[in-house]
Amino acid sequence: MKKIPIPAAVTLAALAVLVALPLSFVVLQAVFPHLGSGSLKDPFGAVARTFSASDTPALIGATLRTGLGVAFFCACLGVPLGALRALFRLPGAALWDLLFLVPFLLPPYIAALSWTLALQPKGYLYQLAGFDLGGLLFSQAGIVLVMGLSIFPVVYFAVSRSMASSGARLADVARVCGASAWAAFARVTLPLALPAIGASLLLAFTLTIEEYGVPAALGPQANLSLLTGAIERRLADWPIDPPGAALLSLILVALALTAYAVQRALVSGRNYETTTGKPAAQGRAELGAWRWPVLLLFALTALLAVALPLASMLCAALSRTVSGGIGLHNLSLANFRQIFSTGGEALDALAASLGLASGTALLAGGIGFLAAWCVAGKRMPGAAAIDALALLPAALPGVVVGVGLILAWNQPFWPATPYGSWIILLLSYTCLLLPYPVRYVSAALAQIGENLEAAARVHGATAAQALRRIALPLALPSLIAAMLMVFAVASRELVTSLLLAPAGIQTISIYVWRQFEQGSIGQGMAMASVAIAASLMLMLGGLTLQQRHANPSAQTRRSAPRINADAPQPTS
Amino acid sequence: MPHLSKPTRFISSILMTIAFSTGAAQAQSLTVYTAGPGSLIKQLTTGFQEKTGIKVDVFQATTGKVMARLEAEAANPRADVLISASWDTAQDLDQRGWLAPHESANAAKVPAQFKSKDYVAQGISALGIIWNTQSGTPEPKDWKDLTTPAFKQKVTMPDPALSGASLDLLLGLQDAQHEGAWQLLEKLRDNGMSVSGPNAQALTPVLQGAKSAVFGGVDYVTYGSIAKGESVKVIFPSSGTAIAPRPMMILKSSKNLDAARKFIDYVLSDEGQRAVSDAWLMPARADIGAKRPLFKDIKVLPQAKDGSGAARSETLQRFNTLFAKP
Repeated sequence: MKKIPIPAAVTLAALAVLVALPLSFVVLQAVFPHLGSGSLKDPFGAVARTFSASDTPALIGATLRTGLGVAFFCACLGVPLGALRALFRLPGAALWDLLFLVPFLLPPYIAALSWTLALQPKGYLYQLAGFDLGGLLFSQAGIVLVMGLSIFPVVYFAVSRSMASSGARLADVARVCGASAWAAFARVTLPLALPAIGASLLLAFTLTIEEYGVPAALGPQANLSLLTGAIERRLADWPIDPPGAALLSLILVALALTAYAVQRALVSGRNYETTTGKPAAQGRAELGAWRWPVLLLFALTALLAVALPLASMLCAALSRTVSGGIGLHNLSLANFRQIFSTGGEALDALAASLGLASGTALLAGGIGFLAAWCVAGKRMPGAAAIDALALLPAALPGVVVGVGLILAWNQPFWPATPYGSWIILLLSYTCLLLPYPVRYVSAALAQIGENLEAAARVHGATAAQALRRIALPLALPSLIAAMLMVFAVASRELVTSLLLAPAGIQTISIYVWRQFEQGSIGQGMAMASVAIAASLMLMLGGLTLQQRHANPSAQTRRSAPRINADAPQPTS
Repeated sequence: MPHLSKPTRFISSILMTIAFSTGAAQAQSLTVYTAGPGSLIKQLTTGFQEKTGIKVDVFQATTGKVMARLEAEAANPRADVLISASWDTAQDLDQRGWLAPHESANAAKVPAQFKSKDYVAQGISALGIIWNTQSGTPEPKDWKDLTTPAFKQKVTMPDPALSGASLDLLLGLQDAQHEGAWQLLEKLRDNGMSVSGPNAQALTPVLQGAKSAVFGGVDYVTYGSIAKGESVKVIFPSSGTAIAPRPMMILKSSKNLDAARKFIDYVLSDEGQRAVSDAWLMPARADIGAKRPLFKDIKVLPQAKDGSGAARSETLQRFNTLFAKP
């Protein structure tokens, strides 16, 4: 039997603890309802009860409807915008790309709360324009719109990248052979981009059904309950129902995994890395008279997806009182002062989030790098298991990971447990965000090729030396970029923080959420502004770093940020 | 291990740190689970630590979430002290035999209705009508004023399933007015009253003016908002309202019983009760003044005679049927 090498063994062990353990406890709890009291009696006893509960079909229906609604919305908005961006010379292209990155940075629950302040009756819109859209916001359509506006960039970037890289040259050939512009688009460019479109829409669907924050913020008033919220309620609101939470978790994971697997199948075998080094001619068409309507469309989208929620957030943060409304008389920095006053809990929350995010970046970066390296070697035993476990969290909803960690580590038989200390948060963040470094490093290692490491080995280096002296330095820029990404997302994660945060620890997201629960909207929004500013700078830093170092041929696609359609996108 | 790579060494050192720190995590500190307000518990724990040197870890959430966590951790309990916003959670836990008795010397001045041998009130809040003074609606004086056309679609109410105090109000009204209470609720429903969220959350739409009034909102959150300059007002209805004493209790499973007793004593001390008063609650001790009306000044509905679990769930059921969405 071939011995599993040390790095692979360490990686496998870490992945087993981080990913496999919580998930298996969700399954165990679903099967054995009395697991909590250490008994395996009455297997499958909770299944009939949970599935016959009157609200279960409604929950699944509402979740699917919302997911499909968001995917449809993203198709209507993201595909045309992406196509326009890819095929035409668009004024300010780099600026639009940058603006459409912002929805990734804006935690969806903060966007939802901002929209609430803006659109509810007597909200900011009413104060400025004399009418409100509360009826629209607090409805199924409103939830779909708010989520769609934060998720559509996934589709936009996938479509624009795919059409720019593969479509343009072949479409040019079609044009040379006499096809009209529309025919070339309809018969060449669009079919070539279809897998990318399909995959990104499935990703939008997955992200939607996994999202906790938006339905939690808007759902109660819209009288709409989705699976994520129902799972959280079954475990975190009295009276609790752990088997029910576990069973609903399995349904949600099944839905997400199905969508994820289909999406992977769609893109597999197709190389969307544009790092071939081949210079692509920038044969973009002129927009001509359509220039202004197209620019208006982009501007309107940016206004809705970026400017309005941010403006609403800042407005609340800078207001002395909420009932004072918009006006110079109400302008005040008091909320920010309160946050930064020493001894306040806001400062502790900031410190806790930043500390945890740093720890997560290091841990996920380390394990992710090892996992990617083990898999890139291919011939290493255990590589398949490592690959599967390391990428699985991309399809795992945060709420399920939270439930799994509670079920796993709250059992009385452990001699010591991370539950009840900050380590449980570190475990949950690391599990959820592991796919970032794995993907980024895999892409970087794939470019290096195996011959460099092989050369080192031929000259007498051990596998560990080759890893340290060849693979690590070459993959470092990508790794650091991934770690910055992990840091930014971990510093604002909502649902597992709410579920798992032990006594004595508050994160930024918990702080913001609790301020809303207690009616201190201004302070919550001030904290949100600080957190978003920080993550904006970090993510932009990460993107810049990765673009500059990982792609020496950057000028061929200088303006398209590397948003990998496969990469997990931040949800709360 | 000379050939172990740096990342491997790094990770194993992390894993080792984790292993050690979990073992030592629960060494010498008190864990308190509490319902809001967050600022009050912050002040109490800071003061307590200054006095005794004992560090306090706090988990603060709504009563429903605090109770859920307590139950989820039943096999492996972590909380030493529990402060809830609903009196019957204490009665419930007491019946289950989860509580350790403690009769604090400082509780001498706490009225008998707010203490037992196993639990004692931290402070008391009252429910009232929370009214936005700039909403353009006439100032309501009693519950029934919220059924008038001026308040059509303008009233919100905390969900009694999520807010123990709100359920207390329901029971109190039912006891005092019998079917009249349900007729009142029916009229409120027909007037477009919405039911949503735990107690403090119901205030949020009223602050901005999305709604004009809360039917049965907790008062102390509102007094805090008024102090910040928000234009809202607490009105205690002329026909009477419910008060919600906030029970503090020590869990039998606590490994820090001594520190837990000290904490309860501290909250009931002059200093602790002043902090309670500063959070706009009524202090539990009758001899500590408040910056707001005391329960003696409010017309309080008599305590529900049948506060049993069955009566509560029956009332809740009836409420849910009444407000079920079509």
